[in-house]
Amino acid sequence: MDITVHGSDPFGNEGYKVLFGNIMNDLGEALAIEKAELVLKAEIPLFIFSVRLRAEPVSKTIADVSSLREEGSGVYITITDERYAPEILKAMWSKYGRNSVDQQTRFDMSVSNADLETVSKTVVASGEEVVKEIIGAVWRSMPEGIRVRHVFITGTVITVVATEEIMKPEYMKEGAEVHIAMGGSADV
Amino acid sequence: MFEVIMYDGGVYRSDELFEMIEDVGGAVLQKIRSSQMLTVTMSIPSEDKETVSALCKEIGGEVKEVPLAGTEIAVVGPTLGRHHMPHPICDIAEALRRKGALSIVMGLARGRGKQTAQISASEVGIINEYDAAILCFGNFKSCIEAKAELMKDIRIPLILVCGPRPEGLEDYCEGIIPGVGRKSERMRSSEERNKLEEIVSMTGEVLKDKRKRMSEDPLFVHPSEVKQVLENYPPIDMCLRPSPIVLHMDGLRAKIPYDENIEAVSNIMVYDRRLGDIAKITESKLDRSSMLIKIKTGSEVEYDDARNAAKKP
Repeated sequence: MDITVHGSDPFGNEGYKVLFGNIMNDLGEALAIEKAELVLKAEIPLFIFSVRLRAEPVSKTIADVSSLREEGSGVYITITDERYAPEILKAMWSKYGRNSVDQQTRFDMSVSNADLETVSKTVVASGEEVVKEIIGAVWRSMPEGIRVRHVFITGTVITVVATEEIMKPEYMKEGAEVHIAMGGSADV
Repeated sequence: MFEVIMYDGGVYRSDELFEMIEDVGGAVLQKIRSSQMLTVTMSIPSEDKETVSALCKEIGGEVKEVPLAGTEIAVVGPTLGRHHMPHPICDIAEALRRKGALSIVMGLARGRGKQTAQISASEVGIINEYDAAILCFGNFKSCIEAKAELMKDIRIPLILVCGPRPEGLEDYCEGIIPGVGRKSERMRSSEERNKLEEIVSMTGEVLKDKRKRMSEDPLFVHPSEVKQVLENYPPIDMCLRPSPIVLHMDGLRAKIPYDENIEAVSNIMVYDRRLGDIAKITESKLDRSSMLIKIKTGSEVEYDDARNAAKKP
C-alpha cells in the first residue's frame, strides 16, 4: 500500500501515515488498497482521505473463495480464503440446517443433501459490504471529532471528505479534486 | 524518615514480611494478591530498609523502588473512544502503576474535536480529586493549542502529553511531553519505552515539587497513619472493592458510601482527636460510594483550635 500525505503539520503527517497503515493492517484492508492519499488540514479543520482499491469490489460466491467437489449426495468444501470461513458456515447452516453441515476443520466441511451448483453460486460477501468495511476503516483512522463527512465512490476509488462543523462547498470541491486525481470520475 | 518500597514475589512466607513491617513500625500501603503472586507496597523507616529488603529476597521476592507510591494519578483522554484508547493512555497508566502510583484512566464526554471540545464542571471536579493528572492530546499542533481551554480550570499539577510541542501552553500545565500523540498500537519500541519513562520521571518531579510545597506547612498527621486507623473500621475491613483505601499526598480516598458512614468516620479518634476535626471529609464526585478525606495542615488545626477556644464562654 502506497500512502501519500499532504499537510501543514510535519508531526501530524508522519503520525497519520503510520496510523493509517496500522489501522488498515489491523482491519485486514491493507491488501485491498493499492494507493492512499491523505490531505490533513487540521487548522481548518479539513481531512480528505482517498483510497484506490486494487480491484473493484464485487460479490463473492462460495466457488470464488473455496474449491468444491461432489461426494455422494453432498458437497465437500475446502475453503481457500480464510476470512470468508464464518460466512460460508453461516450460509450453509441457514440453507441446509446445522445437522447437514459437518465441519471437520476450519477449512474443510461437508454438506449433505446439497447440490454443487446451488452451493457454488451462494453469495458470501457482497461488493457493497467490502466498500462499507473500507469506509469504516477510513473513518476509524480519521480524527474522532471530525464527524461531518461526505463520501465519493467511483469504481475502485473511495474518497472521504470530513470536517468538524459545516461542510462548505469549497471543501467538497477540494475533495472532488483529490478524488479525480486518484482516478475517480468527475460526476460524483 | 520513611521510605516506600515494593515487594514483588510469591505469597510463600509473606506472613513473616507482614510481621516484620509491623515490628519496625512501618505500614502496608497497598497489597495486591493475584493467585500465588503478591505485590506489597510498604512504608518503612529508612534505617530498617536493609533488613526488610534482605527478608524479601530470602523469601524469594524482589524489591523495587516505587517513587510514585502513595499517590493517585488520573490519565485523561479526550474521549473513551477507540481513537484514543487503549493506546497511549493505558500504556501511560501502566507505566505509572509500575512505579507505585495508583493510576486511573478517564475519558471526557465531549473532549474530541478542535472547535467543539469541551470539559464539564463535574469532569473538572473529578480530575481535581487526584494528586496529579496527565492529559493526552493528539497529533496536530493547532488542535492541541485550541484545546488549552480544557486545562484552565484544573487546579492539580497537570502534565500534557501530545504529539508536536504546542506554543503558549506553559502556563496551563506543569510540564509538556511532546512526541507521543495518537497511537494505534502498544508503545513497545525502545524509543516509545523511553518516552514512557520520561513521562513517569516528569510526574515524579512534579509530585516532588508538590511535596516540597506541602512540607512548608505539613499535614497534621500523615495519611498512612489515618489509613492504619481506618483499616479497623468494619465497613472498610469488609469492603470487597480493590484497594478500599487509596492514599493521596494530602489525604485518602475511602471506598465506602459517604451518606452511611460520614458520622462514624468523623468520630474515629486519631491521636485523641476526632477525624472530622483534623480533616475535611467530603463525598467523592466520582461516585456516591466513595469519600475523600483531606487532612488539614498543622496550622489549620491550630487555627481551628484557637477559634473554638475563643467561642467557649
